[in-house]
Formats: sequence, C-alpha cells, structure tokens
Amino acid sequence: MNLLIQTLAAACGTVAFSLLFGAPKRYYAYCALIGGSGWLLYLVAAPLSSPPTATFLATVLVILMSRWFAVRKRCPVTIFLISGIIPLVPGAGIYWAAYYAVTNQLSTALDRGFGALKISVAIVLGIVFVFELPQKLFRVGLKKEEHL
Amino acid sequence: MSRARQDREVLLLALQAGRILLENGAEIFRVEDTVYRICHAYGLYSANAFVLSNGIFLTSGDEEETQFAKVLQIPVNHANLSRVAEVNQLSRRIEAQQCSIETVRQELERIEQLPEFPQIVQILAAGIGGSCFCLMFGGAIPDFICSFLIGALLQLYLLKLGRRYFSKIVCYLLGGALVTLLSIFCYLMKLGPHLDAMMIGGIILMVPGMAFTNAIRDMADGDYISGSVRMLDAVLVFFCIAMGVGFVIALYGRLTGGVLL
Repeated sequence: MNLLIQTLAAACGTVAFSLLFGAPKRYYAYCALIGGSGWLLYLVAAPLSSPPTATFLATVLVILMSRWFAVRKRCPVTIFLISGIIPLVPGAGIYWAAYYAVTNQLSTALDRGFGALKISVAIVLGIVFVFELPQKLFRVGLKKEEHL
Repeated sequence: MSRARQDREVLLLALQAGRILLENGAEIFRVEDTVYRICHAYGLYSANAFVLSNGIFLTSGDEEETQFAKVLQIPVNHANLSRVAEVNQLSRRIEAQQCSIETVRQELERIEQLPEFPQIVQILAAGIGGSCFCLMFGGAIPDFICSFLIGALLQLYLLKLGRRYFSKIVCYLLGGALVTLLSIFCYLMKLGPHLDAMMIGGIILMVPGMAFTNAIRDMADGDYISGSVRMLDAVLVFFCIAMGVGFVIALYGRLTGGVLL
C-alpha cells in the first residue's frame, strides 16, 4: 500500500516537474510512467542493497525507458530524462548534510554529505553507461521506414 | 536570391535554431548536430560550429561557399523543453523535405514566441510537486498540505523576486532560507509533524536536476568545457541551498537555544 502511494506520488511529482520545465503536454503520461517506475525500483531495491546501488539501478531503468520513448515519439530524450531523474537526485542528502553541519554533528554531516555524493556518482555512472548503448537497440520492433 | 545571400540566411537561421536549443536546456551535442543538419540540408557543407554552454561560434567559407563568421553570446535562461522538442521536430522536417527558408524562419519565430505556462499554473505545479516529494520522503497528510503551501510560496518567490532581481547565488541562498523558515513555522505551529519531509519537499523544487544531468551528458560526449561549466553551476546551486538551510537552522538554534527535531 505504501509502495503504491509512493509510486503514485513520484509519478505525480514527475509530471509537476515536467510542467515546470515546460515539457510538451502530450508527453506527460510518459514522464509519469518513467518517474514512477524509477522510484518504484529504487524503493524495492534499496532495502535489498544500498541507496547508491538502488539509485544506480533506478537511473538505468529511467534512462532505458527515456531512450525507448524518445525513439518512438521522435523527440529529444532530454524531455523524459530530466523530469524522470528528479526523484533520484539527492535533495534529501543536501538537507541532512546542512542540518547536521550547523547543529555541530560534523561526523554525521560528513556521512550524509558523502552519501549524497555517492548517490550522485551512481546517477553519473547510470547515465554514462546507458548512453553508450547503440541507438539501434532502441529501434527494435520499429518498421524500416520509421527509422530516421 | 543569390547564392551568397541564401547562404547567409541559412547560417543565420541555423544560429537561431542553435540559440533556441541552447537557451532552453538542450545538450551541446544536439545544438551542434542541429546547426550542421540545417546547413547541410541547404547545401552548405563548409559550416563549422563551436558550441559552448553560453555561446555559439559559427563560421563557413571555402572556394565556392560564402565567407561567414558570427559569434553569439547566450545568456543563461530558464529552460523550456517544449522549444527544444519543436526545434528538433523542425530540423527533422528540414531534412526530410526541403522547406523554403521563409518557412523555417517563420517556424523559428513561432517557436520563440511559444508561451510559457501562466504563472499561477506554475505555482500550483510547484505546490503539487513539493507535496508529492514530501510524501515520498516520509511525510503524512498534514505535511502534504503544508508542503503544498511551501512549494507554492517558493515558486512565487522564484518567479516574482529570485530569478528576476537576484544573482543565482543570492536567489538560491534566500530560497533555501525561505523553505526552512516556512517549514520551521509549520512545524512549530503543529501544522505538520515531519520537519524533514516538508524541508525536502521544498528543497527538491530548487535542485538543479537539469544542469546536473546535462553536465554529465555533455562530459560523456566529450564536451568537457561546457560539461564542467554546467556541473559547476549545479554544485553552486546545491551549496547555496544548503547554506540557506543551514543559516536559518543555526539562527533558530542561537535564538531559542533549543534544538529542532
């Protein structure tokens, strides 16, 4: 139940971000799907592994889906990618790092800050690896004349 | 139209398309690609583009083609992905079927005039976005409602004050401080029990997701200069938010002697 609510919240939040970034309305449904799936995978994977690993897996899923839809809808991948990845960006890490730093719990602050950094690195790795995949892979199932 | 004039027109249009893309958050690679596609579609093969995160250098000219050089400095603007999508569509159209130069010019004009969402819609969207993220980070229903108000007020501040009158540093410092003030207020008034969830809901609205993602993609494409500039931008915003948050929490600690949470 909690999982369902969180996924819906992620989907809804992703759409709100696509609106703020001015993405075209016709893509909102895909943005919601991508943001929701990414967060769901993160939630499922985080207890089994660690937040950075879960973030990496979720980033990979988000980018795979973004590229898949980008090829099919013939639009820049940026539109799906940027809003879909927002739930994974370590916004919470910044808050906790700042909070512990000013309340004189420096080692905890360092821990949190470093955790946020690890999550960022996981996102970087996810983006770099999935964008190395050849574009052909994402065209599987498209008709010949639709290749462009 | 003479060849020289036409070449000039094409290069100017390619520059305009590049500028729209760059202003609205496209990757460096896409900007260069689009500029070349437009030039090639009109038979201009000597064009050379050098694109940075805030400027485009375009030159052309050999024995046959017209000499041309132009540098365009591009201010950092608030991104609008619709425009990126539209320019992308236009460049595909130009490639597939020859459009007249006049059509391209009109299309680019139209894309540049594409309206933003009304501010009230943006404010509501920020409220909803903030409250959704508040739920995801452990908020309950009362926090959800508080977060909606915090997000909406933050967006109002960003639209009316922050992005208009302040430098980026001051804008996000004050933004972080504003979110913290409002969250502490809601927490103390017993409106929302989870201070952290409300804070995160507000902060996430300012998080530089676009700069961060684009920075990584630019670097992966080998555009190190633009990638580093965008990464610096993202890190700067992260730090400013953190400092704004930290400042208010520290001030609260000094004033009351009490510790939050």
